[in-house]
Amino acid sequence: MENIFECQSITFSYNIADQDKVLPVPILEDLSIAVRPGEFVAVLGHNGSGKSTLAKHLNAILLPQGGVVYVNGIDTREEERLLEIRSHVGMVFQNPDNQIVATVVEEDVAFALENLGVPPAEIRTRVDDALRSVGMYEHRLRAPHQLSGGQKQRVAIAGIIAMRPDCIVLDEPTAMLDPRGRQEVIGTVQELNREFGITVVLITHFMDEAARCGRVVVMDDGKIILDASPREVFSQVELLKSVGLDVPQATELVYRLRQAGIELPGDIIEVEQCVTAIGRLLKGS
Amino acid sequence: MLKDITIGQYFPGNSPVHRLDPRMKLVLTTVYIVMLFIASTPLSLVVGILFLAVVYPVSRVPVGMMIRSIKPIIPIILLTGILNMFFIDGDILWQWWILKITDRGLTMAVLMSVRIICLIAGTSLLTYTTSPIALTDGLEQLFGPLKRFRVPVHEVAMMMTIALRFIPTLIEETDKIMSAQKARGADLESGGIMQRVRALIPILIPLFVSAFRRAEELALAMECRCYHGGENRTRMHVLRMGAIDAVSFIFTGACLAGVILVNIYGAGWL
Amino acid sequence: MAIIRTENLNYIYGGGTAFEKSAVTNINLEIEQGEFVGIIGHTGSGKSTLIQHFNGLLRPTSGKVYIDGHDIWEKPKEIRKFRFKVGLVFQYPEYQLFEETVYKDIAFGPTNMGLTKDEVDERVLEAAELVGLKDKHMRKSPFELSGGQKRRVAIAGVMAMRPDVLILDEPTAGLDPRGRDMILGEIQRYHIQNKNTVLLVSHSMEDIARYAHKVLVMNRSEVFLYDNVEAVFAHAREIADMGLAVPQITRICIALRDMGYNISPETYTVESAKEQILALLGGR
Repeated sequence: MENIFECQSITFSYNIADQDKVLPVPILEDLSIAVRPGEFVAVLGHNGSGKSTLAKHLNAILLPQGGVVYVNGIDTREEERLLEIRSHVGMVFQNPDNQIVATVVEEDVAFALENLGVPPAEIRTRVDDALRSVGMYEHRLRAPHQLSGGQKQRVAIAGIIAMRPDCIVLDEPTAMLDPRGRQEVIGTVQELNREFGITVVLITHFMDEAARCGRVVVMDDGKIILDASPREVFSQVELLKSVGLDVPQATELVYRLRQAGIELPGDIIEVEQCVTAIGRLLKGS
Repeated sequence: MLKDITIGQYFPGNSPVHRLDPRMKLVLTTVYIVMLFIASTPLSLVVGILFLAVVYPVSRVPVGMMIRSIKPIIPIILLTGILNMFFIDGDILWQWWILKITDRGLTMAVLMSVRIICLIAGTSLLTYTTSPIALTDGLEQLFGPLKRFRVPVHEVAMMMTIALRFIPTLIEETDKIMSAQKARGADLESGGIMQRVRALIPILIPLFVSAFRRAEELALAMECRCYHGGENRTRMHVLRMGAIDAVSFIFTGACLAGVILVNIYGAGWL
Repeated sequence: MAIIRTENLNYIYGGGTAFEKSAVTNINLEIEQGEFVGIIGHTGSGKSTLIQHFNGLLRPTSGKVYIDGHDIWEKPKEIRKFRFKVGLVFQYPEYQLFEETVYKDIAFGPTNMGLTKDEVDERVLEAAELVGLKDKHMRKSPFELSGGQKRRVAIAGVMAMRPDVLILDEPTAGLDPRGRDMILGEIQRYHIQNKNTVLLVSHSMEDIARYAHKVLVMNRSEVFLYDNVEAVFAHAREIADMGLAVPQITRICIALRDMGYNISPETYTVESAKEQILALLGGR
């Protein structure tokens, strides 16, 4: 099956005005990545690593200055097919408030479909389905300002799901949420990937979120420095720390014990794994 | 909290009035206003009052809400009443020094006051029974034909919807900014006009900056959801006229006719 | 002496608003001068409402607030001066910047205090240095800076008032790990240097465990616990039940303890857990 995304050696710089000069600041350098349908990919990196810029290339918000980006085989520079690209790749942003356009939840979820000229009766069914799949159906008649951050993000996700896209890209969707909101959003997205096979690209700097994905891509300075399963990625503790990222405490503990000469598996990322491994160790000795 | 102001706010419900097509409600409200102003005798105005007396109970909007809508304009009503009572010529009914109340003055005072009360009560009923989104939808459709003349009907309706959507959010943000500046010693309460206006700068600038930022992010989000203007847009809620619309149209028409008739023939009754 | 003291403090939000904002119920608290206190609680537990009472932004429905021994509402017209004693940095403080230059924005607080130009200048530069802002930043418009830098400017703006108490509401919200470590490091440095009192509201028990000496746990508008860090972690299970995330390391230690190993369930640093495990292994 065809790749959902294929970025081939893309480069991108922003022009920053510094006093009287305009300097190009390179953000992405010769970056290549492919994402297959059904994957749940986390893109990890500190602020300034280029991860958001990469995300914006995936639905043609930005066009690469060098190289090509293919979405479902379509070159993102093809202007006439822009709507087609955007109906296949939905994007959810960081600020829950600044994505909601309508005064009532269900109206907002219908927005994309209205733009696409979908017949009214079909809009109704798809909106209801989308709201149910994010668990917001009971709130469909409420006003946005009455919702919590996590609920607003779920409404934003529903608005995308209603388009029945192949893929959702989420650009730091939980950065402004409290722990419960973060749980709600990541849980929703995980389920959408599992149940409906929607490809998910999650841009984040939270390790525990990346740990739940099937594939983790680590970026630094506009380049991809790691691209593997969470276990493989988090075992590279030194490297992650050197690029300003954290590792889960479970990983940190195992790392320090290994450094002290203790034999433990190097790819532990979750509490249960850690407890099992250390328990086994303590029992055995 | 600031954002719970009830001026013109929607009062949810499922009454026949709520369920009327918003276009019909807009048209009928206009007809009602016309009715009030062409009523030239107190008796014809009674028809206008009767109209309200029928529609309000049907709408199941509590009388308290109607009274609440009138409260802010009581000063205007009083002023109008007084102006009319004391300064219109006619047969003098009562006099004290230079103040005189004439029969015509009294009639006009009552007429104008009742007219204003009915006007506010009636238009409030419109906003109480019609959600902002239904109102903007109704307006967009009513003025739709103007698109042919390059009038940006869809764009204006979209702007109204987004403005309505963000009012509570911006009010909340204003609260937060005010708290933050007060925490740094900003004094928003004391001083003369100039001082108070200057004290608003630390509130308004962040608010404006924030509003622009929101606009930018919202525009991007809208584009990502395939927004491309009003061309070929469908709507989830399709406005359709039904039996209740026909009934209310006839009812209002009858009231209008009634007002005109009483104007012409009822003059002798008072 | 307690720098902050509350007596039967209650705050009730009037009118049934659909948007949930919590009240605080019967708060009796004494915070000593020089403490670094972490404040945790689920969303809606009352933490934001409580801290706004400490600088007089909110007036108690009943009860009293004493700052440095003074009842702050004794003379309501003079409440402003307490806002200079107790500095409050809100969440996402970068959204309050408004001046033409970074310098002027930081100077807003001290200027409102009625200080002389020289005094203001001294404080502005001091605060800027504390948060790591350089000279070149001072003349720029705050809107030209990055998000993280803007936040520093906002925090400096409150530090410049030299408050006896500095309260920060989730200063690391929205920041990446590097940004988070930098800001918390600066706050710690500020605390050590100035020997004043710092209150840090956070959702991250990991952060609180690392930097605070004492923890105030709010639950459903009441104080659940106010004690030093170790004592609070002794209640780790109850805290988890409240919906607060207990640090991974504590959960690991609790689980190991449940398996029968002699590991303290109050452990809250990775280093401490490591030491205990090594000790157990070495001892065999």
